[in-house]
Amino acid sequence: MLLNFLQPTSFSPLLANVHSYASEFLKESSNLAFLTNSLLVAGVVVGLILWFAIKATKNMTLIPHKAQNFFELVVEFLYGQVESIVGAKIAPRVFPLLATIFIYILVSNWFGLLPGVGTIGWGEGTGFMSVKEVHDPLLRAPTADLNMTFGLSVSMFLVWLYITIKEVGVWGFIVHTFGAKGGLKGIMGAMVALVFLFVGVIEVFSIIFRPVTLSFRLFGNVLAGENVLHTMSGMGGFIGSVLAPFPFYFMELLVGLLQAIVFTLLSAVYIQLSTSHDDHGHEDAHH
Amino acid sequence: MDQIKGIAYQIAGDFGLAWGKFFAQVIIFILVYTVLKKYAFGPIMAMLEQRRQRIADGEAKLEKITRDAAEAAKNSQAILDKAEADAARLVKEADDAAKLIQERRQQEAVSSANTIIAKAREAAQLEQEQLMSQLKREFGRMVSDATSRVTGKVLNTEDQSRINQETSAQVSA
Repeated sequence: MLLNFLQPTSFSPLLANVHSYASEFLKESSNLAFLTNSLLVAGVVVGLILWFAIKATKNMTLIPHKAQNFFELVVEFLYGQVESIVGAKIAPRVFPLLATIFIYILVSNWFGLLPGVGTIGWGEGTGFMSVKEVHDPLLRAPTADLNMTFGLSVSMFLVWLYITIKEVGVWGFIVHTFGAKGGLKGIMGAMVALVFLFVGVIEVFSIIFRPVTLSFRLFGNVLAGENVLHTMSGMGGFIGSVLAPFPFYFMELLVGLLQAIVFTLLSAVYIQLSTSHDDHGHEDAHH
Repeated sequence: MDQIKGIAYQIAGDFGLAWGKFFAQVIIFILVYTVLKKYAFGPIMAMLEQRRQRIADGEAKLEKITRDAAEAAKNSQAILDKAEADAARLVKEADDAAKLIQERRQQEAVSSANTIIAKAREAAQLEQEQLMSQLKREFGRMVSDATSRVTGKVLNTEDQSRINQETSAQVSA
């Protein structure tokens, strides 16, 4: 019955012709099918991040140079945020992962706003070096590829599982998930235990679907942003194509930052919820 | 179950999900995570910790310096107070000593002056007596001489002695 609501539908975008998937460079080669435009940009983004990280950490001094100062600002801010959520004990262990996720997503999101990303590529030719519409763009924001967002969220999920088991143990996790809270005894206690058992089952489903929700939230927002920008760029001739998307670029800058924060903070909250030793409610932050 | 599987496959197809692409993205992420953790976050966190430690040390030193300065000020004030008290005492002692010396000198001067005056008086008295004696003698000689010339008589020793005595008695009177 429930599955009737999930009839197969097409996820093709309605506004502009931005594919919901990354384009492969070598379509005939099944061995190299993983080489996509989003993977190329992911490589460029990684290169940029590493270049800046090396620049910032090279010849570090107590009185920091500009790059070091900026990187220290970012790291210190992120560490403070992570520590305030997961606590001082867990923070040193999860900070590198969460900080990497934040920086990687943020740079990927903003890289997708650069001119040329999604607009230079292959399509039906109309003249020298010009196409009517780009079907296979050369560059695509990595976060507009579900493989990347799903990969991130699955990685995060595995790390979450490892930290949780290491921190509270398998039995502790089971008790934490299914155990009755409140300390009631007798018949009331049994009834409450049944309720919490049922809540635990729901909680397990919620946990299993975390990688899906995390990845689709990020992917959907970035893809929607690309669609908006492409649609606006196709409006009102040359001047319209310049002016119409202009305000939306600011919005997408904000969305890019916001989505990086959301992904990182939710990951931190998941870790905090499963590693805290008190009886606070589950998934509050999720909703 | 087949329906769920079908939906999952369709979603995967629509969004281009594939194991190869998925693992390629995961590997890239693991790469950036590993490099950043080892070569960026580690050194940066160490540097932040070093700076934090340095600031804490600086604060501690500053606190110690402030404490030492307060202690030094207290000590110097005590030294100043003691020096002031010593100076006051020395001035008073010097003042007393000066007064004592002054009094002694004054007494010595008075005594000396009295002695000089007494000696001068004695000398004057003696001189006066000598002069008087000489005067009496001279006067007696002159009276005797005048008497002998007036009377034309050569006076003997007895007359001269008697005239001298009378003359001395009249001069003294």
